[in-house]
Amino acid sequence: MISVEYLILGTVLSAILTYFVSLFNRKLASALVILVSSIVFGIYTYSGYSGSLSAVVELMPNFGYFKVTELGLFFTTIVTFIIAMVSFFHPLYSERYAHPHAFQFLYLLVLAGVIGVFNTNNFITLFVFFEIVVWASMFLVPMSKGVKPTITYFVFSTVGSFSLLYAILYMAYGFGSTDIDYVLTNLTGTPALIVYVLLAVAAFAKLGAYPFFTWLPDVLGETPDPVSALMSGGIEKLGAFIAVLGLVRIAPTTSYFVAVGVPWQNYIIGLLAGVTIVAGTFMAIRQDDAKRLLAYSSAANGGYILLALTVGNTVGFTAGLFHIFAHAAASTAAFLAIAVVSYRTKTSKISELGGMIHHMPITYVVYLSAIISMAGIPPMGGFISKWLIFQTLIQNNMIFLAIAAFMGSIGSFLYVFRILAGLFLGQKLPKYKDVKEAPILMLVPMILLTILSVVSGVVPTYFLTWIARVTTSLGYPALATSDLQIVGFNGVLDAPMIALVFGVGVFIIFILFLIFPKSRKVGLMDTYTAGEFIYTEELLHYSADFYAPLERLYREEPFVRKIYASIRSKIMELGDFVRYYFFTNKPEVTVFWIVVVLLIVVWGGIL
Amino acid sequence: MERMSLMRWGLNNMAVILIAVPLLLAFLSILSKKHGYYALIFAMVFNVSFSLYVEKGLVSIGHFGPVGINLLVDQYSLIALWFMNGLFFLITMINCKSMKKLATVLLVLLAGLNGLILTHDLFNLFVFLEVTGIATYLLTTENNKPLSTFNYLVQGTVGSGLYLVGLMILYSMIGTLNMNQIYLGFITNQITPDKVVIPFMLMVIGLGVEAKLLPFNAWVKGVLEEAKPLSGTLITSVIAGVILLVFGRLLTVVMMISTAKVIVTVILFATIAGGEVAAFRSNKMREILLFSSVGQAGLIIYLFAQGLLMPAFLLILANMLSKFILFSIGAELAEKEGDALENLRGIFKHNKLLGVSFTIAALSVSGLPIFFGFIVKLNILFGLFNANDLITPMLLLAVSLVEGVYFIRLIVQLWNGDIEAKISNRLLIVSTLAVALGLVVLGVWSQPLTDLMSNINLDMLHILQGGTV
Repeated sequence: MISVEYLILGTVLSAILTYFVSLFNRKLASALVILVSSIVFGIYTYSGYSGSLSAVVELMPNFGYFKVTELGLFFTTIVTFIIAMVSFFHPLYSERYAHPHAFQFLYLLVLAGVIGVFNTNNFITLFVFFEIVVWASMFLVPMSKGVKPTITYFVFSTVGSFSLLYAILYMAYGFGSTDIDYVLTNLTGTPALIVYVLLAVAAFAKLGAYPFFTWLPDVLGETPDPVSALMSGGIEKLGAFIAVLGLVRIAPTTSYFVAVGVPWQNYIIGLLAGVTIVAGTFMAIRQDDAKRLLAYSSAANGGYILLALTVGNTVGFTAGLFHIFAHAAASTAAFLAIAVVSYRTKTSKISELGGMIHHMPITYVVYLSAIISMAGIPPMGGFISKWLIFQTLIQNNMIFLAIAAFMGSIGSFLYVFRILAGLFLGQKLPKYKDVKEAPILMLVPMILLTILSVVSGVVPTYFLTWIARVTTSLGYPALATSDLQIVGFNGVLDAPMIALVFGVGVFIIFILFLIFPKSRKVGLMDTYTAGEFIYTEELLHYSADFYAPLERLYREEPFVRKIYASIRSKIMELGDFVRYYFFTNKPEVTVFWIVVVLLIVVWGGIL
Repeated sequence: MERMSLMRWGLNNMAVILIAVPLLLAFLSILSKKHGYYALIFAMVFNVSFSLYVEKGLVSIGHFGPVGINLLVDQYSLIALWFMNGLFFLITMINCKSMKKLATVLLVLLAGLNGLILTHDLFNLFVFLEVTGIATYLLTTENNKPLSTFNYLVQGTVGSGLYLVGLMILYSMIGTLNMNQIYLGFITNQITPDKVVIPFMLMVIGLGVEAKLLPFNAWVKGVLEEAKPLSGTLITSVIAGVILLVFGRLLTVVMMISTAKVIVTVILFATIAGGEVAAFRSNKMREILLFSSVGQAGLIIYLFAQGLLMPAFLLILANMLSKFILFSIGAELAEKEGDALENLRGIFKHNKLLGVSFTIAALSVSGLPIFFGFIVKLNILFGLFNANDLITPMLLLAVSLVEGVYFIRLIVQLWNGDIEAKISNRLLIVSTLAVALGLVVLGVWSQPLTDLMSNINLDMLHILQGGTV
């Protein structure tokens, strides 16, 4: 009998085993990580969906309380799959880490934690595993660079988890129980509102939504490349899980005010999600580092997920879950593609690259499919979820938020094109003339993820049936579909047909490409410079200052960075104050303070 | 009352020899300095093993008014004895090179600490406070910073002076210094809490100097910022723990300071926040640890003042264990490469086992699960919520975030970098690793310890109300 407990314990034990294997043979340990994470994914998904996964706890009484739910199955399947896919990068990447042995151990610990978070019916168990994921993944961050991104990650994650912890304690205080189902179904009135806000804060912090979204670029841009993929595609989804608990299962809460048909608190959360989409997209447009760009785009996509979940109907909930899945597949693929580029060239700066399509055609296709899925272009999975989000927003007359969502979609074309044109197309620098395509081992997960993105966009109804199991289990009816079509409020989406049209279009263009004469390849130095000497050819690279006119309009995210910096410096100043006035080397200062306190005491006593 | 002063003269009821043996050996060790080392080891081994054997009970020696000696062994002091004597033994053995010179001082210290845990009357508390204090002053001379030691001496003396003044006023008011009688006086309304608030506050301030409460703790920085492994670890782990345990017993049993709650709360919150922000500001190894222990001390006393005995006790034990690991490793590293963190970057790469222990201890102090600190944190927060306090948990979580940040910064810096230095103190490596594993075990399976503690609160009151132990 397979149980959640055995899976977790097995993963932890193999994590320890991997560490010791790694001491002797690093490659073997990486292979072990691939094996373990794939097997865990396989066993979990198989036994979970065949109904044979048990939640009984035998070996860890009082530590974990597990329960297999449809929602948990959905999330665990996605995240363990992503973890398994990313693990394929370890054998070749691990020699670049500061602590390769510990890396393997921590990676599998994250996997164990993830299973625990999603498969429990107890808030304390959820929190324990949530924190295990936080600290285990936190130590993955500094494997390549310094301290700062680690601290950033810790601070924002901890803001989220403390908000979650406070909510849990508050609910336990009110109900005397930490049972998730019991507590969430019985919350009403003001406590419901408080818990709703606290869980929203937790979800926002973990998912990287405004005003917490600065951590995504700062951390994902600096961590080892596979870790960025893991965080964006996998760990971030913990925030989405909390969002489902808070935004979907508590909402709709009772409210005194109603804004555009939804309670005001839902609308405010929706509004912040809208801000996330717009700010994330616009910040992504001006990034020169491909990883930072993708991180901002990740934040924007987190905004879409939150927006969909706040609406509070079947279409919104389904759209949110579909987008969680579509984004996990696409962003992991995109980050992995960038990881390949940076594995070969040691940089992920767009202005330092170019013309990679000549060396890495498969990586290019993977990246292209991933990023058009993230931008919501057919025939990709991301298109389906965005279509559903627009449907539900328009149906609920949330025009303002719909505009934000549209703006994000249009803006995403700009940042999609930036990487595409600057990194993969265009002229290549002479120093990269010997760059090769990714090794087979790295191509495997990328191709699998791409296939998943395409299939979910071409025949979405299969995936919608999967998602319907989750929505119906939480009391929302299944989304209306007929054969391979999705029935929306104001029309029918025939995804296979769209894909067919798209395919035909691509085919025609391909024919034209074969017929027409080939373009002539021009070297970067082959240019007219009006008598000037060229010393640094990088400056001639056309992707430097790619969107200069647009970038001049804004510089950084609204408000937040300055506020965070000022909080930090205020704490520093307070620390200086304390050190200067209290921890002196003069005993008379202490005596002075003692006298002051005594005076207060005596005075208070007389009074 | 009569029943309590009766005692069975069995060996296992003679808690007093936990104090008497080290004290006697301390005098003897003066006669023969060469053998002081062996005397110390004998005393430590004796105390560790006898503390496992000693039975619960109340021991009264002499009945001469205010200065009769009362010792109480209940669940609280029993657990405290195990942890204190065990850690004292470990710390001393790890630093056996520097301990040889200080054998007599350490023997006196051991006697004083055991006395502080066991004593059950306010006058003997003063005596043991002075004994411990003097031993600690002498211990800090190891650091070769006479000015700091002098500062500590001055402030410690002012503190114990205030305690003594409070004691005198109290005695003249209520005519007893026996904790039982004071407690019973409160229960039977013979003593009104309002009247005795001034002497008690004087005692709080006096003890506050030793317990590192904020405006009275200037000595901490000088004494600890360059403390050697032996004295530093003893002060942050064992001595700090014992003083806080004493504070806890006083606040729970006798000190009725409810009328002065505002000023006490202000002092404690200032201590918590001040310690944590000062540690956040620092980028020196031992400084971070010393400021952090200031913040923790404030939190512990706050919990005692709120009546949350068990969370506070758990926090003391967690701190004794983790501060033992942090300070003994931290001081050892700092002695080797200097305190500045940039000189220590990546030092754990070559000292992996020390690094693992240090990391576990730091994560435990930051309250992350599967470590003991997490269980403690949950206990604290649940305790506060059950006491209908919804605001303090928020403040504590905010402070805990600050604390987490500097500890994580510390660990990450120590793991990542290219300083090459090797520390080869085997005993240090083994014992810190063992204690670190203990933190993990207690974090995953804390049932035995919490079971042991579950009746602490009742236990203490039970005895005081005249029940048998």
